[in-house]
Amino acid sequence: MANITKKVSWSSRGDESGAAGEETPLLNGSEQSRPLRQMSSGSTVFQIGRLSTVDLDEEITTEEQDSARGRPKEIPHNEKLLSLKFESLDYDNIENQLFLEEERRMSFVAFRCLEISRWVICGLIGFLTGLIACFIDIAVEQLAGLKYKLIKENIVKFTEAGGLSISLLLWVALNSFCVMWGSIIVAFIEPIAAGSGIPQIKCFLNGVKVPRVVRLKTLVVKVVGVIFSVVGGLAVGKEGPMIHSGAVLAAGVSQGRSTSLKKDFKIFEYFRRDTEKRDFVSAGAAAGVSAAFGAPVGGVLFSLEEGASFWNQMLTWRIFFASMISTFTLNFFLSIYHNKPGELSNPGLINFGRFESEAMEYNLYEIPLFIAMGAIGGGLGAFFNFLNYWLTIFRIRYVHRPCLQVMEAMLVAAVTATVAFIMIYFSTDCQPLGPDHTEEYPLQLFCADGEYNSMATAFFNTPERSVRSLFHNPTGTYNSLTLGLFTLTYFFLACWTYGLAVSAGVFIPSLLIGAAWGRLCGILLASTTSTASMWADPGKYALIGAAAQLGGIVRMTLSLTVIMVEATGNVTYGLPIMLVLMTAKIVGDYFQEGLYDLHIKLGSVPFLHWEAPATSHWLTAREVMSSPVTCLNRIEKVGTIVDTLSNTSTNHNGFPVVVQVSGDDEVLFDLATDKNAWCKILHSCI
Amino acid sequence: MSLHRYELGFLLIILNIYSLGLIDAVNVTASDSAANPLQAPSYQSHSSSAVYKPAVDSSYSINLLSSFPEDVEISEYCSEMLRLFGQRYVAYVNCLIPAARPVRVCQNCSPEYKSLSDVFLNISSDQMGPGNVSCRDSILRSDRLMLVFLLYGNLATIWEKSNCKQCVTTDLKGPNNDTLYYLTLLNQTITCFEKYKEGNHTELCKSCILPYKDLNDMYSGMEKNSTLCIDLEDSMNMTRKLWSKNFGCSYPHGETIPVIAVSSFMLFLPIIFYLSSFLHSEQKKRKLIHPKRAKSHNSLMNIQDKQS
Repeated sequence: MANITKKVSWSSRGDESGAAGEETPLLNGSEQSRPLRQMSSGSTVFQIGRLSTVDLDEEITTEEQDSARGRPKEIPHNEKLLSLKFESLDYDNIENQLFLEEERRMSFVAFRCLEISRWVICGLIGFLTGLIACFIDIAVEQLAGLKYKLIKENIVKFTEAGGLSISLLLWVALNSFCVMWGSIIVAFIEPIAAGSGIPQIKCFLNGVKVPRVVRLKTLVVKVVGVIFSVVGGLAVGKEGPMIHSGAVLAAGVSQGRSTSLKKDFKIFEYFRRDTEKRDFVSAGAAAGVSAAFGAPVGGVLFSLEEGASFWNQMLTWRIFFASMISTFTLNFFLSIYHNKPGELSNPGLINFGRFESEAMEYNLYEIPLFIAMGAIGGGLGAFFNFLNYWLTIFRIRYVHRPCLQVMEAMLVAAVTATVAFIMIYFSTDCQPLGPDHTEEYPLQLFCADGEYNSMATAFFNTPERSVRSLFHNPTGTYNSLTLGLFTLTYFFLACWTYGLAVSAGVFIPSLLIGAAWGRLCGILLASTTSTASMWADPGKYALIGAAAQLGGIVRMTLSLTVIMVEATGNVTYGLPIMLVLMTAKIVGDYFQEGLYDLHIKLGSVPFLHWEAPATSHWLTAREVMSSPVTCLNRIEKVGTIVDTLSNTSTNHNGFPVVVQVSGDDEVLFDLATDKNAWCKILHSCI
Repeated sequence: MSLHRYELGFLLIILNIYSLGLIDAVNVTASDSAANPLQAPSYQSHSSSAVYKPAVDSSYSINLLSSFPEDVEISEYCSEMLRLFGQRYVAYVNCLIPAARPVRVCQNCSPEYKSLSDVFLNISSDQMGPGNVSCRDSILRSDRLMLVFLLYGNLATIWEKSNCKQCVTTDLKGPNNDTLYYLTLLNQTITCFEKYKEGNHTELCKSCILPYKDLNDMYSGMEKNSTLCIDLEDSMNMTRKLWSKNFGCSYPHGETIPVIAVSSFMLFLPIIFYLSSFLHSEQKKRKLIHPKRAKSHNSLMNIQDKQS
């Protein structure tokens, strides 16, 4: 009988030691030697790795294991590993007797009620997502406004009196303080809430059960974290976290219970299975996109493109409903907040402003230019991903303790403030203050009275406002040097910032980088030709540049096109944006993968793409399956079951139940899940 | 009929002389005004009959005029109002043009605007004047051009844009107290500038900083309360230009050294951090578990080769 008390728990956290052996891995009380397998060189696809937080005390020590041969081989983290801690979602219903009885009991009316409740849940998801987005927006606006007001007053005071280094220190201190809190809650309370959340949701929608990704705790940490990150002045956006929050809300609301709060509301019990949950999470992700960008159709397409494997008409309709409710709720509540109830002019967290058709018309001869800009965006995006990839590997290998992560985040915040201050300080670009200036906190610094520092409009603002001013400010607001320096510094800052242990997105920084070099292209074009009127507004080049850069970094195609078209409110821009995004994707894919795919790989997630790798179609199942097969008898000892379930190298979600276990006998019985097999078998044994 | 005609002609001639005596650049013929649409608002003399006054060589004959029946003509009262409107309009524009640069429209021309808007209010009111006539429809809305309406609209827009309401008294008689105080400060500053203009500009910067600062502060305060009109904005703009560009009295660039020192320190910190974590932290390793595959098969070796 196996010594159960010595075993670690066989939960899916998988923090146990284990090793593959030549024989079946049953440890029926006997200590077993664990011969070490030589790693086959060059084999790339099927190595399985695991976290090494192992309590070696739990191992049963024998003399044989004292030798180095007993230890499994350890390698530094790289992208070619897959982690054993991930299970897949169950897309099939467990059709056991209980389930069939339940289904028989449900009447026709009950099924109709179910359908209606699906709609109600989708509406509720949209509504709550809109509310959360509203909360984030208002909190960021208030806190960031407070911070910038403080710093501006300080700068104004010290510009006359001298001693601007004090302002710099104040700015650095405020930034670090905010980011410290944001990073502490992420690093210590819920590490899964780090980053933008889109890779995790992508995995979830594709069937990988990423642990703790849709918990209430994650939601709270994410929302509070993103507020602190943005207020802390980091080069981040709040759109990615919005998508994650929408998905979490959907998962929570549709299940009618909360694991974090340990409360069960006893509603929606029919939907407590992975099939339904996945559908609702798709709706939640779409609602999140829609709230983030004001793009309901873009949200639906995002869910379609990234996730939902099983798509049908009713699901599309419900997801669209959730998206619309989400953007409408956000719009409505923001209009109340701005004291203009019913004006409905803030459909999303990011507002690109309306692109008036007249000034922003484009001509046919500009299309090749746009395509060229798309290629540049793809190249720059691939470079961004490349740098971020190596940085993330470094972080995973060396900066893995929570306190180090917090320190790193604070340092990044401090350096961001420093760089911004230096740029503003040494910039001599002064612009006159117009009567309808859109700057909330114009910094005069060393400019003449009545003028303000134009580098400050880019740096001394939340990134969304900077993007909007790059799109819409009239010609001549920025000069080329300002824009060039800004692009360069912000590119490296954003690359450094993504991947920190803070809750932060990458959409807005990429849009900002792209808008800056796009506007620069527009200005250069206007200056190279004599008839400046031919190129009209550099704002539209800023838009194209932003789309190109974003496409180059995240490599989303259809959904991003629709999102940009909806966010700018101008369908005529659909064609250039589509061309630009396609070009960026083609050029970028030649060099490097998209950012989210890279991070999925680096997270060791067993993510299945749409199609198998290109040269693998001739592989047969025999060559990739384990042998001998881990299966269970119809009548089995409890110890064997425990061993099978607790052995991490065989923690599949299902085991065949066969009549006899010997080599490759045919499997006579269908798959049963581990929990069910456990119950059934225990039941039959007791 | 002929008696009417002579009366008409006599009246017209008198009005012509009257109007010529009143204004210099006036268009008196329909053809003239048609040919110069871009001229300053022209005053057309109005008769009690229909619209156009014939010139000597005009193709229009007086016969046309008498063809309009009585009930489409505007009444005496209304034509009087129209004349008054014309007078006041001209007076206002005459006041505006000289006050265009530097902008003084609010201080100088508010009374004229008041009287003009009073007349227009009268014209456009719903009340019936004496003789039970409403002038609004007959003057303002009888034709496609709606000339009177357009002209007044232009001036009203100019008044709105200049924001003059903020710095004149409620009865639009003249500048209010705040404006007067501001103007005093402005005067002080300009006198100071005049005094030290000839010499070294640094002398000026030092001596005139106090009145300039007072002026600036007053202006910022008014800006916050949104009690600014174009007069004040323009004068402030010019003063600022003088101060910063002509006399070059902006803020000194301050000490760059502490700023550079602090920034270099900040920029250096991450390098130290990453180096120390590289050297001191234990690298996170992953434990490899090898999957059990079928026994080695010939094809397996091929797979290995192909995959590597």
